[in-house]
Amino acid sequence: MSSFRTPLGRVRFLGSARLGAQDNWRMRVTSLGLIPLSLAFVVIVLTLLHKDYNGARAEMGEPLPAVLMLLFVLTGIYHTELGMRSVIADYVHGHAREWALIANTCVAVSLGLACVYAVFRIGFV
Amino acid sequence: MATTGTAPKPRPLSPHLDIYRFTLTMAMSIAHRITGVGLYIGVLLLVWFLLALSGDARSYGIFSGFIHSFIGRLVLFGFTWSLFHHMLGGVRHALWEAGIGLDHPMRERFAQITLIGGFALCVIAWIIGYWVR
Repeated sequence: MSSFRTPLGRVRFLGSARLGAQDNWRMRVTSLGLIPLSLAFVVIVLTLLHKDYNGARAEMGEPLPAVLMLLFVLTGIYHTELGMRSVIADYVHGHAREWALIANTCVAVSLGLACVYAVFRIGFV
Repeated sequence: MATTGTAPKPRPLSPHLDIYRFTLTMAMSIAHRITGVGLYIGVLLLVWFLLALSGDARSYGIFSGFIHSFIGRLVLFGFTWSLFHHMLGGVRHALWEAGIGLDHPMRERFAQITLIGGFALCVIAWIIGYWVR
């Protein structure tokens, strides 16, 4: 016997990250929010569909579509980041999983930032 | 100690997808995940749209040319369907977590509503898109 620690003591805190409940709750909250936001997004896209550049830009620069678009994009990207995280956890193994999780976060943050930049630019420039 | 002899007995494997009979609820579960990943990729289209619109008329013209092409419409249709299908799938999961509809006839009904409702909402959105000009 090389250690006096009990088997339970050795494995405690080495199990799951214990963030599952939090992730699940955030998934639920964002999915609930995304129901009205997705519908708003579809309506915005439908109103922009047949407009030319100037018309679409003027419409998108209005406060209401701009804020709804930002809410949809940020909530949606956070939701997809959480979703892709569980897909990666299911199908990717070993060190590749860690790289995939890092890439997932980087891609999500980059896409979110690009959308925020674009909506601000449409509204202010 | 002799190690020659019979090979170790293969360990029992946990059952995987390919041994189960195909069911609609199973297909909707898989479709929920596939549409979710599809929407992740679809965000790229949204980023392109917003960045193109934030640029000049030429950059928006390139995006507009793509989205009004046959391939562009096909991609956008897929995005619209994925959005509505995934949305209804999410509602289904929320109801299940509330303990509603876990019994046999209801979960089949939920799967059917998800499948038909996703297509119906998508088609309605596209009819409005073509109709309101």
